[in-house]
This record gives sequence, structure tokens and C-alpha cells, in this order.
Amino acid sequence: MSAADVTATPTRRPFTGRRVRFGDVVLQLVAGAAALGATVLVGLIVWKLVDGSHLALSKYGLGFVTRVAWNPVIGHELYGAGSFLFGTVITSFFALLVATPLAIAIALFLTELAPSAIQAPVTALVETLAAVPSVLIGLWGILVLGPVLRTDVEPWLHSGLGWIPLFGPPSSSGASVFTAIVVLAIMILPIVSSISRELFLGVPSELKEGALALGTTRWEMVRGVVFPYARGGVAAALILGLGRAMGEAIAVTQVIGGGVFIHWSIFSTGDTLGSKVAESYQGASTNLQAASLIYLGLILLVLSLGANIAAQVIVRRVARRHGVTRGGRA
Amino acid sequence: MPRFGTSIRIASAVAAAAALAVVVAGTANAKAAHQASTISGAGSTFVAPLVSQWISPIGAAYGIELQYSPIGSGGGVAAITARTVDFGASDAPLTPDQFSACKGCEQIPWALGGTAIMYNLPGVKNLLHMDGPTLAKIFMGQITKWNDPAIAKLNKGVTLPNTAITIAHRSDNSGTTYNLTDYLSTVSRSWSSQLGRGVAVNWPVGVGGKGSSGVAGVVSSTPGAIGYADVAYSLQAHLKYFAMKNNSGKFTTPGSRGILAAASSDQKPAADNSVSIVNPPKKFANAYPISTFTYAIVPLQSAKATDLKHFLFWAVTKGQTGPYTAKLRFVPLPKSVLVVAEKAIAKIHS
Repeated sequence: MSAADVTATPTRRPFTGRRVRFGDVVLQLVAGAAALGATVLVGLIVWKLVDGSHLALSKYGLGFVTRVAWNPVIGHELYGAGSFLFGTVITSFFALLVATPLAIAIALFLTELAPSAIQAPVTALVETLAAVPSVLIGLWGILVLGPVLRTDVEPWLHSGLGWIPLFGPPSSSGASVFTAIVVLAIMILPIVSSISRELFLGVPSELKEGALALGTTRWEMVRGVVFPYARGGVAAALILGLGRAMGEAIAVTQVIGGGVFIHWSIFSTGDTLGSKVAESYQGASTNLQAASLIYLGLILLVLSLGANIAAQVIVRRVARRHGVTRGGRA
Repeated sequence: MPRFGTSIRIASAVAAAAALAVVVAGTANAKAAHQASTISGAGSTFVAPLVSQWISPIGAAYGIELQYSPIGSGGGVAAITARTVDFGASDAPLTPDQFSACKGCEQIPWALGGTAIMYNLPGVKNLLHMDGPTLAKIFMGQITKWNDPAIAKLNKGVTLPNTAITIAHRSDNSGTTYNLTDYLSTVSRSWSSQLGRGVAVNWPVGVGGKGSSGVAGVVSSTPGAIGYADVAYSLQAHLKYFAMKNNSGKFTTPGSRGILAAASSDQKPAADNSVSIVNPPKKFANAYPISTFTYAIVPLQSAKATDLKHFLFWAVTKGQTGPYTAKLRFVPLPKSVLVVAEKAIAKIHS
């Protein structure tokens, strides 16, 4: 346990007397209990999800994961996660695709290009975006973003790129997978950009100045020094953003429009694992439906944990390559 | 151990939080003289305007402080199952699984209203007509344009545009959805075999909105849209709604007259006190065919039995009279249903 390591290794300040040792014991107990509590909590959540979804797990097994079906009417009941899994993957992947270049551009601007007078205020504003509650972003999606995308952006994309199945006929109401993608991109943008900014700030200035002294342009310096140095950390930040996008439920529920089908056009409506659980859990009509909804939650947890572990592995590998421990930052 | 019951507890925490918000916000005028007795409820948004009319008279009559959180029928069922409230309210009768999870609950029909089929068709001023089989085809995605011959046939003399139809439906579990799908199941054989009735169904087409306000929002922002909500919402959102053809061939709107005529259709409550009054027979010439009873869900054994009984008796009798119901387009309970309701209320004990 890391808390124990920290307190056990001798530090720079010499210990004097019993009171300090007593403080160490208390610290170790409190920190250890907190760490243990968090671990136990994860275990309890997993157990609850498995226990709650037992009915659906034993009835449908793993076939549930890919089956495209969701019929809650008594007598016709059949459940499957296929369309929701598809919706989750599509929305979070494209949200990441939209957010990545923007987030990296923001971080570069703030660390390398912006005049120092505006760095602090712009940084604060970008980080404020992360503090906007998701339900408000969802509302804004319904009232402003959806109608704009429907009347302006979707027809434009369809007329130019309509030969790609992704850009089918524009949505009629403004609620679509595309609206959900843009909303999610906005939500992960501040996370990725603020972590990237920290990473870019961590690039040793000797390296950057050295490159510039050799006569490189600013762009060549960014490409040759900043990016390679921060690459692993940015990748980890992106995966954290992906995890956030996969798990977001409320804002997605508000703008995605629903539906149990797989359409290749992102202008059609859809649902994600999180949005389905959020909209249908209250007042589920049957035990099997309730269990199937928890099964959706279990699949979502597996996806999110997978993303998190991937991020940690990348950070470790990068840290080892650089011979420094910067893992805590990402 | 009933998994349904335990898992629903999480959801009801949300309900409890909502109930708390209402407690904090809305009850400054508590009667100080009486020993504070509080009855709390949560659920149906459909019945909420009526319940809020009852708060002050029930306080005056019995010194009961009534609190109600309109969190939706599904939420109401979850809340009473977890006993975070004294009563729940739902527009759809409980399913067998919900009954067993609720452990010793009964449902009491306690109000009556109609579901309006709203539409948004710019440029057409007339009040449009609709019938059940055509509506079923529209909601199944088989009729996709406003100028379809089936719609035109019902609206002779009206020029209908070539606008595409967008369906708006509820994304959450809703008693209003139950009312509509109950109706469509009785008028369309293919609806009943392919989709059926429920608080949520496997919609083949359309856009989901959360709550009646969500559906009304989609309809008002989408030209060509058709959705459904209780009449009060359609009026509030200034949306037009169809005159629906009933079994006598007449086109009726969800006003008091049409709903009252539907309620008087001779359909006896079932053993679980549920009553379905959709698509009444021909002899009820003025009946609006998509009307519904809505229910209070109460535990048979309650620590607040006396107050709960006072409140519910009052609600199904005095609470049904004109001053409370008329302007909200609710309709008083018919005699046969009132008898059932009173019997059910009498069973509550401490």
C-alpha cells in the first residue's frame, strides 16, 4: 500500500521524539483506512451489479451483450445490450475524435503561444467548462445546439459527404447521435486540454530553448520536442476522456433521442448504455427488466475499468521510458 | 430476497431527494395549531396539478400537511416500494412484479383524465381528425407523410402538406405511454401483436423525450411532429391536438364531456382495482377514446393510517368536485369506481 511506503521510508526531515511517531501511526491508520475503504467500495459496487443482474445473467448469459433487442412489454419481453453498446462506442469514439485536436491546440496555445497576460484568464475559463454540470450542457444541447446542428450543420455535411453512410439524411428534431457526440466532445475537452497543458508545461525548457537555438521554427520545436516528450501522457489523458464520454448518462439522455436499432448514420437517434439505464430504471415493470438494466451497468463498468487500466499502463510505460515518475499527474 | 425491491432502493433515493426539495420549498404555511401531521406522496405528473389544488383544503379540514413530488409514475412506484413516501401515484396499474415488490400495497383509482395526441403542422389551421387504426400505423412508422391518403381521407377539404411525420414519445417509464399503447392495442391487431401495452414499448420509430414536457418540447420544435401528453400539457405548450374518432363514428376532443362519457362506459374495475376505459363501446357517443384512470398506491398497513384514510376519502369525494377539477379538465369519479375506491381506502390500517 502506497500510504505505508510513504510513511515507512525515512524522509529528509529527521524525526525527534515520541509525538511525531504517534502522528505517524495516526497518519498510517487514517490513510490506510481511506485506501482500504475505496478498494472495498469498488468491490461492493461490482458485487451489487453482479448480484442485481443475476436474473438477466442466468437467463441470457453472454448472448445479451451483442443482441439488439429491448422490449419491456410484458409477454413480449426480450432484452439485449447490442444497440446500446454500439451507441456507447460510436458516441465516445467520435467525441474523442472531435475533442482531441481541439484540446491539444488549446493546450499548445496556452503553454507555447499565448501572450503571458492572457494565459491565466484563458486557462481559468477553459477549466470552468469542466465545472458546468452535465445536465446544463444537456439542456443547452436541446435548446441551442440540437436545432443549430439540425438546420445548418447536418444538411451541409449530408450534401457534401452524404456518400459516406455515416452522414445520412439530417435528423428531423435535433435529437441525434451526432448531437450527443458534440455534447460529449464539449464535456471531455477541458479534461484533456488541462492535463495536456500540465504535460506540456513539464517539458524541460532547456530542451525547447535548445531546439529554438538550433534554428527550428516554433512548429518544428513543438513537433520535435514537446509532442514526443508528452505523447504518452496525452494518450493517457485521451483514454481518461474516453472513459468520461462512455459513462456520461444525463446529458446524453437529453439529446440522443432513443431507439433500439443500429443505424450507420450518426444523424439518426440512438441510445447508449448509460442513457438507457438513466431513462428506464425508475419504475421498471418487471424483475427481468430491472436485472437487464443492471446488466447494462455491469457492461459499462467493465468498459470504464478497461479504459482506466489502459491509461494507467500507458502512464507507467512512459514513466519508465523517461526514468521519471510522473504517473500521478495524469 | 426480491432483487427488484433492493435494487429499486437506489432509485428511490433520488425520489426522496426530490421529495425533500418540495418539503423545503413549499410548506411555509404549515398549521401551527395542530400537532404537525404530514402525508407525503410522489409519482404521476399527470395528477400533480389536481393534488396541488388539494393541499390547502385538506390542511383546513384535517390539519394534514400534504406534500407531493411530481417525479413521474415510475418514480412514484419506486418511492412507495421503498416506503420513502406515504403514498405513490401512477397512471398505469401496477404489474404483478411491482405488486409483489411493493409488499402489501393496493391501488386506488382516484382521478380521471385524457391523453391528447398533439401535433405541429405549420400552415394548417383546421383542427385535424384522426382515427385509431391510422394513428397505430403512424406510430409504427408505416405512414410517414402528412398527405398520406389515410390521413387525407379523415380530413376531407383540408390541404395537407408533403411534410414528413416525426414521432415523439416518452423515453422514461410513463403512465401516459401506458394509456396510449393500451388504446392502440385495442384498435389495431398488428399493434397489439407486435408492440403491445406498457409504460414503455419497443418504439420502431421516433424521438424520445423525458417527461411530458420533453415530448411537448420535441413536438413544438419539430415541424411535422406528432406526440402525446395529458391535455393540460398540450394546452400549456399551445399545441394543437387531434379530434379522435370513437366507436360511434364521432370525432371527440379530450375535454370534460368526452372524458366523462368515457368514464361512464360500463367497465367494472378488476380484482386489483384497475380500470381500463380506452375505446369505449358505440353507445357512449361522446366518449373520448384515450382516457384513463390514475391511481394512488398505498400500503395496507401504515403508521399514518388515520391521516391517510382521511386524506384519501376526502380526495375521492370532495376533492372531485368542480372547484378542484373543472378548470384542470379532470372529471369526477363515476359512482361504480367511487364505491371500489372507498372500499379499498377502508382496508388501510395501522
